Amino acid sequence: MKENMLAMNKKNFLGSVCAAFALAAVVSSCGDGKTRSTGWEFSRNMYDPIAFNPDQPNENFKNKITAQLPPAGTNPIGFERFEFANSLEEYERAGRELTSPLAVTQENLAKGDALFHTYCAVCHGPEGKGDGPITKERSVTDSRGTRALETFPPPPSYQKSDAASSSRGGAMSELSDGKIYHTIYYGHNSMGSHASQLSPEERWQVVMYVHELQKK
Amino acid sequence: MRNISSLLGKLAKTMSVGMMLLFAVTMSNAQDVKEGQTLFKSKCTTCHSVTKKVVGPALAGMTERHDEEWLVKWIKNSQAMIAAGDPTAVQLFEENNNLVMTAFTDLSDDQIKNIIAYVKDEEAKAAEAPAGGGAEAGAAQSDDANTFMIIGLIAIVVLAVVVIVVLNRVIRTLEKVIANNQAAIEAAQARNETVAENRFAKFAQAFVKNKKLVGFSVLMLVAFLAVAGWNTLWNVGVHQGYEPVQPIKFSHQIHAGVNQIECQYCHGGAFKSKNASIPSANVCMNCHNTVTASEHYDGELSPEIAKIYRAVDYNPDTRAYGNNPKPIQWVRIHNLPDFAYFNHSQHVTVAGVECQTCHGPVETMEEVYQYSPLTMKWCIDCHRTTEVNTDNAYYDQLIEAHEKLKKGEKMTAAMIGGLECGKCHY
Ligand code: HEC
Ligand code: HEC
Ligand code: HEC
Ligand code: HEC
Ligand code: HEC
Ligand code: HEC
Repeated sequence: MKENMLAMNKKNFLGSVCAAFALAAVVSSCGDGKTRSTGWEFSRNMYDPIAFNPDQPNENFKNKITAQLPPAGTNPIGFERFEFANSLEEYERAGRELTSPLAVTQENLAKGDALFHTYCAVCHGPEGKGDGPITKERSVTDSRGTRALETFPPPPSYQKSDAASSSRGGAMSELSDGKIYHTIYYGHNSMGSHASQLSPEERWQVVMYVHELQKK
Repeated sequence: MRNISSLLGKLAKTMSVGMMLLFAVTMSNAQDVKEGQTLFKSKCTTCHSVTKKVVGPALAGMTERHDEEWLVKWIKNSQAMIAAGDPTAVQLFEENNNLVMTAFTDLSDDQIKNIIAYVKDEEAKAAEAPAGGGAEAGAAQSDDANTFMIIGLIAIVVLAVVVIVVLNRVIRTLEKVIANNQAAIEAAQARNETVAENRFAKFAQAFVKNKKLVGFSVLMLVAFLAVAGWNTLWNVGVHQGYEPVQPIKFSHQIHAGVNQIECQYCHGGAFKSKNASIPSANVCMNCHNTVTASEHYDGELSPEIAKIYRAVDYNPDTRAYGNNPKPIQWVRIHNLPDFAYFNHSQHVTVAGVECQTCHGPVETMEEVYQYSPLTMKWCIDCHRTTEVNTDNAYYDQLIEAHEKLKKGEKMTAAMIGGLECGKCHY
């Protein structure tokens, strides 16, 4: 009889423990898991870097930025200056004097293809027809509701079959090495400079791929 | 008075719009607006919009500013006109920072007249539709807002007066009732209090007597605290779900999702270096020198995009940069402790892991949050299960070294990278 009761109690006991844990687990897992705070932290000083990260503010400099520009007139090792200025005459001169140092190989073309799709196709379109995704009608639905997004002015097509003309004279399908490189380096009107995103070698690979598109 | 004058103004506006429409319709018989549209879309939209400034000025009203002959000459070759010293042309050129407009010598006079007809047609449409009408539409809207507000205010005042009167009545009747029943109420109150006390005491007594119930409650409390404590301790220093407020309402959903800009466009560092890097503001300016989102702010520049302009000290009216930039201070979300070394290019370029594997569906996030826990367990679990892609010169060397070992040849430290600078100096 007594043993029986103990067994009963054990069962009850286990049951209540399970119920309690289940409830606790349910209660403590509420919310969508996103928070505005970092929560509890322990020994913060082991997380913070001792050396400065490039994107950290820095009291040691006048403009409080860690990533300083190199002093004017200095060249980092291996850095080649682009000798053409940002003007129409210099653009024409680059078109005449500058040619690609890279050989046309399958590898360079494949790289140029990938780079073009990442850096240029948003505006120029995957085939260079000037029909990138941001030049088309499209809309977004978010916390501010559904609204149409602004369309970017479409650039002229590179393709020979479209016979579009460059705004600086001549046909888009006949832009030379130097003119395209100059455009990547300085941008032109609504197109910004892409020099900070592409290294000189990558720029030439893109130029090579643009020539492929011009043939279409 | 104001109402009447604005009414007259509106009437005049609709009439002039009607006239212009009529004009446009009759014009379009002679000159094909449709052809003008195709030409305009293919030749001019890179620099012009009818209603707003892009690279060149907004073209609305150009026929009032210049006569048709001048326009044809200008569009054919504006630089020649400037070189010849046409005063209007020179002034226009200087007002626009000496930006060169393309010469369209390939267009015939008729084609240019078609374009002009198309611009006029668009102009009339824009004036008719309040959304696109710029300043005029803005004024009309604010007028509407004013009358709406005045009516609202009057309604509120009337309502307030009614409420005051009614409340006064109620208070007076209540006072009368209270005076009548004072004694009765006091007695009732005393009775109620004792009943309430008794009830609570009874409940407490019953609770304490029921040992099982007490035991269960205590157990619940302990279990709850234990689970909560356990969870908290495990999550110390784990920032999963962290979604701070950023200084600019930058949406990955708009940029990486709808606009389909690839991650590499902005986070190019992820493919080349340890840091994925946050883009500097000049990358934003590649598009935002033109994209102002003004359609959502009644033709005004978006206040969020104005913050980018402030950061790079850009003046949208002159399209020129000053020399007082102030960097945007984004709030860092993902942050490994300084004692753990994580390299993006090793994972993204070498191993070919997708950004989304670690960062979640970023292209649908309006605000970025930390998707993965970034704990050591998380790194290790993936390293245990992911096969290495050995199609890579580094592994050729490694495999070669193993082959040599198998054949029983000697292996030196140099063969496993003992001569690489970075193994000792870092
Ligand atoms: C933000 C959108 C955008 C991106 C990204 C972009 N472009 Fe452009 N591009 C334009 C626009 C707009 C024009 C037309 C400019 C004009 O003629 O006013 C243009 C024009 C050009 C021209 C013709 C210049 C001339 O002389 O007429 C070339 C060449 C060009 N882009 C190459 C590139 C390359 C290569 C890339 C990728 C590295 C690229 N663009 C990325 C928008 C863009
Ligand atoms: C490369 C960019 C570009 C293209 C393409 C372009 N324009 Fe322009 N346009 C400008 C600029 C810049 C100005 C301002 C004057 C200047 O700086 O030369 C201007 C001025 C004008 C003006 C004078 C506006 C005024 O308010 O006085 C007219 C009219 C005009 N453009 C029509 C056209 C037409 C029509 C086309 C298409 C066939 C066209 N433009 C294509 C850049 C361009
Ligand atoms: C138009 C530029 C742009 C594109 C395209 C873009 N990002 Fe970002 N990204 C930013 C900026 C600016 C921030 C900093 C502000 C923020 O956190 O929202 C950021 C922040 C982030 C962060 C958080 C960084 C931190 O502080 O820990 C992650 C992760 C990220 N991006 C991943 C992606 C992925 C994955 C893609 C591609 C699907 C992508 N981004 C595409 C501009 C961009
Ligand atoms: C390839 C082009 C492109 C680049 C690069 C780009 N944006 Fe955008 N951005 C857009 C477009 C297109 C929109 C949609 C405009 C609209 O709402 O109509 C937009 C919208 C926005 C908005 C919302 C504006 C509003 O108030 O509705 C903000 C804020 C913004 N961008 C910030 C940034 C920042 C910060 C960067 C740099 C990290 C950046 N953008 C880079 C194309 C770009
Ligand atoms: C293997 C997992 C993994 C992959 C794949 C990955 N990331 Fe990260 N990412 C991390 C970790 C871990 C951090 C935190 C790094 C730190 O604090 O040092 C991070 C941080 C970031 C940051 C914050 C800034 C920085 O450099 O620390 C950005 C932005 C970012 N990632 C973008 C990307 C993009 C874009 C891709 C795809 C090209 C990508 N990540 C792929 C794990 C990953
Ligand atoms: C999604 C899977 C995944 C996650 C998560 C991940 N890694 Fe990796 N990691 C890999 C793969 C795959 C490689 C092998 C790459 C190669 O081929 O060299 C690797 C390689 C590495 C290496 C280089 C090993 C060596 O000796 O060459 C380091 C260091 C590293 N990871 C650190 C981390 C850290 C720290 C974290 C957590 C913050 C992490 N990883 C999270 C998949 C992952």
